Amino acid sequence: MSETPAGRPEPAPGVPTSAAPALAMRGLYKRFGATVAVAGLDLDIPVGSFYGIVGPNGAGKTTTLSMATGLLTPDFGAVWVHGVNLWLEPQRAKPMLGILPDGLRLFDRLTGAELISYSGLLRGMDPDVVRSRRDDLIAALDLTGAAGTLVADYSAGMTKKITLACALVHAPSVLVLDEPFEAVDPISAQGIRRILRTFVDVGGTVVMSSHVMALVEQVCDRVAVVAAGRVIASGTLDEVRGGMGLERRFVDLLGLEDINQDLSWLRPSSG
Amino acid sequence: MVATLVRLKLRILGHQMRREPWRAVMFGLGAFWALTMLPGLIGGLVWLAGQTSEIRHDVLILAGALILLGWAIVPVLVFGSDDSLEPARFATLGVAPERLMPGFLVAGLVSIPAAFTAVLSLGLLIVWWDGGAAVRALVVVCAAVTPITALLVSRFATTAGTRLLGSRRARESTAVIGALSIVVLGPGVVTIAHLGLEGALQRVPAVADVLAWTPLGAVWSVPAFAADGDWPGAFLHLAVAVASAVLGYRLWALMVARAMVSPPGRGGEGRKHGDRMIAGIRARRRSPLVAASLAIAARSSRYWVADPRYVIALISSIALPLVIAVMLATVGSAPKSVALSIGMLVAGTIGWGRHNDVAFDGSAFWMHLASGAPGIADRAGRTIAVLLWGVPAVAVGSVAGAAVAGRWDLVPAALGAGLGVLLVGLAVSSVSSVTLPYRVAAAGASPFATQMGSAGASIIAQLMTSVVTGLLSLPVLVGYGLALWWRPSVGWVVLAVGVIGGGVVLWRGLVIGGAAYERRGALVLAKLV
Repeated sequence: MSETPAGRPEPAPGVPTSAAPALAMRGLYKRFGATVAVAGLDLDIPVGSFYGIVGPNGAGKTTTLSMATGLLTPDFGAVWVHGVNLWLEPQRAKPMLGILPDGLRLFDRLTGAELISYSGLLRGMDPDVVRSRRDDLIAALDLTGAAGTLVADYSAGMTKKITLACALVHAPSVLVLDEPFEAVDPISAQGIRRILRTFVDVGGTVVMSSHVMALVEQVCDRVAVVAAGRVIASGTLDEVRGGMGLERRFVDLLGLEDINQDLSWLRPSSG
Repeated sequence: MVATLVRLKLRILGHQMRREPWRAVMFGLGAFWALTMLPGLIGGLVWLAGQTSEIRHDVLILAGALILLGWAIVPVLVFGSDDSLEPARFATLGVAPERLMPGFLVAGLVSIPAAFTAVLSLGLLIVWWDGGAAVRALVVVCAAVTPITALLVSRFATTAGTRLLGSRRARESTAVIGALSIVVLGPGVVTIAHLGLEGALQRVPAVADVLAWTPLGAVWSVPAFAADGDWPGAFLHLAVAVASAVLGYRLWALMVARAMVSPPGRGGEGRKHGDRMIAGIRARRRSPLVAASLAIAARSSRYWVADPRYVIALISSIALPLVIAVMLATVGSAPKSVALSIGMLVAGTIGWGRHNDVAFDGSAFWMHLASGAPGIADRAGRTIAVLLWGVPAVAVGSVAGAAVAGRWDLVPAALGAGLGVLLVGLAVSSVSSVTLPYRVAAAGASPFATQMGSAGASIIAQLMTSVVTGLLSLPVLVGYGLALWWRPSVGWVVLAVGVIGGGVVLWRGLVIGGAAYERRGALVLAKLV
C-alpha cells in the first residue's frame, strides 16, 4: 500500500500511457470515521475485458467504484483511465467513463427521455446527436412505453435501465457498473447483456460489481474477489476459480462458516 | 402506548442531540429565549389586568389568534416540522391508529412551543384573577384546551401543504395557485399598509368579535364573557373551542388512518410529455460549455415548477418579504419607506435563498460530477434559472413599492438596489452552495421535514452567507439611502451600480464558485449522499 497525500499520488510503476489498462487503481484507501472501507486496493482492468468484481456485503465494492469514477475523493491512492490520471485531469478522464452508480438518486422530475438528453447535453454533446442516440437507447433498452413518464414513477429495474442509457449516451470507452442487474427482469437483463457483450467485442471495457456468482461466471471473462477493502484474488475466470465453481471458491477464499444457528421458533403459528 | 411513544420521541431527541451538539445548543437557546420572554409577557399580562374587559377581550383574542396562526405558518414557511413521529412510519407495525393517536397527541405536546403556549394560557390567570373563582377555573380549563388546538392547527397546516404540493397531479397547478395567492395577497397587504395603525385599530373590536366564534379565537374569549357575567356566552364559546378541538382531533385521526394505508410518494401514473430538455437547444455548434449551461438552466427551471421544495421556496421568497413589510408597516411609523424596500426584501430572499442550491439535487448531483461539465457551467445554469423569474419579481416589487409610496421619482433607486441585492445574493450563493453545503429534505419527501444531521452546518452557512451578502450589497443600499433622504436623482447612479456592479460581482461569483466546484465537487457529493 503506497500512502501518499490525497490529490498528489505518485505515478504508479508500470502504468505507461500507451497500452495502459483501461482502468488502473493503486493504493486506494478510504476511511469513514472508524471504519476503513477500502484499505489500499490495487487493481488493473485490461482494455477489452468484461471484468466482474465480487465480494461480501460491506467489502468496499461500491466505495472502490465510486473512487474509480470520480464520485468519491480517495484518502490515498490514484486512478488512471487509459493512462490519464482521473483525479488530476478529470476533464480528460471523465469523458472516457460511463458510470452506473448504486443507491444514488436521479433527477427524477425529468422524464426518462429527458434524463438521457440531459446526460448527453451536460457532456457538451451536439443536440442532434443526442436526439438520435436517445431514441436508439430507448428502443434498445425497451423503454419506449415509459420514455415520456417521470423517472420518479419508474420501478427499480426501469431506473437501472435509464441510468445505463445515461451512461451510454456519450459512447464511453470504459463502463463502470455497480450492480447493473439488480432488480432487472430476466428479459431486460438479457438485452443489457447483449449490449454490453457487443460493446466489449468492439474493444470497449466493462467493469461490474455483483453479488450473483452465477451471473458473473456467465458474463465476465475476468474477475476480482474483494474482501475487507482489498483484492484477495484476481485474474481470468478460470485462474480465480481454480477448477471449482466460483461460488464454492468464493466461500473458500473468505473462509466463511456455514451458519448453524437454527431459529427453532421460526414456524407459522397463531401467536 | 402513550408512554411508549413519548419515550420514543424523547429517545430520538436525545440521539439527535448526541450526534449533533449544535442541535442541543439550539434547543437550549430556544428554551432560554422562551424563558427570557416570560418577564415581558407577565408584564404585559399585568398591564392588561388593569384595562377594561373590552380591551382585554379584544387584545387577547387578536394576540391569541396570531399565536395559533403562527403555529400554522412557522412550520410551513420557515422551520419545517418535526417528523420523527410521522404516522406513515408506523404503517408496517400493524397497530390500530386509534391506539396510536393519544400517543401522537401527547408526544406532540412535549415540545418547547407547546410548553410556552401552555404557560402563556395559564398566565391569563393574572389577567382574570379579579373575576372570581369560577372565572379562574374557566381559565384553567381553557389553558388545557389551547395547546391541543395549537398542535392540531400546526398538523393541519403541514398536512394540507404536503397534500397540496406532494401529489404529482396537482404539482404544476401549484405554481399557479402560489402566483395567484400572491397576486391576491399583494393588494390586501397594500390596503392594510394604507389604512395605517390607527385605521387598523378601529377595526379591531369587530375583527375580535368574529374571531371569537372561530377555533382560533374562541378559546381566548371564554374568560372575557364570564368576567362580564355573560355565562351563557362564555359556555357557548367554550363549546366552540372544545368542539373544534374534538372535531380537529377526530379529523387528525382520520388523516393518520389514511396516511397509514396510503404512504405518500407513490402517486399514480403522472402525465406524460415529450422531451422538453432538448427542445429549446438548437444544434448551432455551440460550445460545450454553453450547451451544458443551457441544459442545467432548463433542468433547474423544471424543478422550480415541479418540485414542491422549490415551489415552497419560490412562494415564500415572495410571500415572506410581503409579510415582513406589512408587520413593519403596521408597527413602525414609516410605512412609505417600508413599501419602498419591498423590492430589496424580495431580492435578498431570492438571492440569498439559493445559498444551498446544490443540496436540493441530493445525490442526483452525481450526474453533474460524472459528466465532467465545467464548474462554471453548473454555476451559470442554476443562476440563469433563478434570474428568469427573479428579475421580473424584483422589478415588479420595486416598482410597486415605489408606486404605493407615491414616490415615482424613487423608482430607479429602488430598482437599482433591488437588482443589485439580487445579483450579489446570487453571486454569494454561487460560491457558498459548493463550499458550505448542508443537507435538506430529499426530493419526494415532505418539503416541510427538517433534515437530520445538518443543524450546525446550516447555521454556519446561513450566518456567513447573509453577512457577506449584506456587506457586498452596502454600495447599493447606501446609494438607495442617499436617493431617499438626500436627492432622488442619485437613483440613476444606484441603478447603474446595481445592474453593472451587481453583474460584475455575479460574474466573479460564478468564476470563483466554478473553481470551487472543480476542486470540491466530490466532497460536496459525499455530504449529500
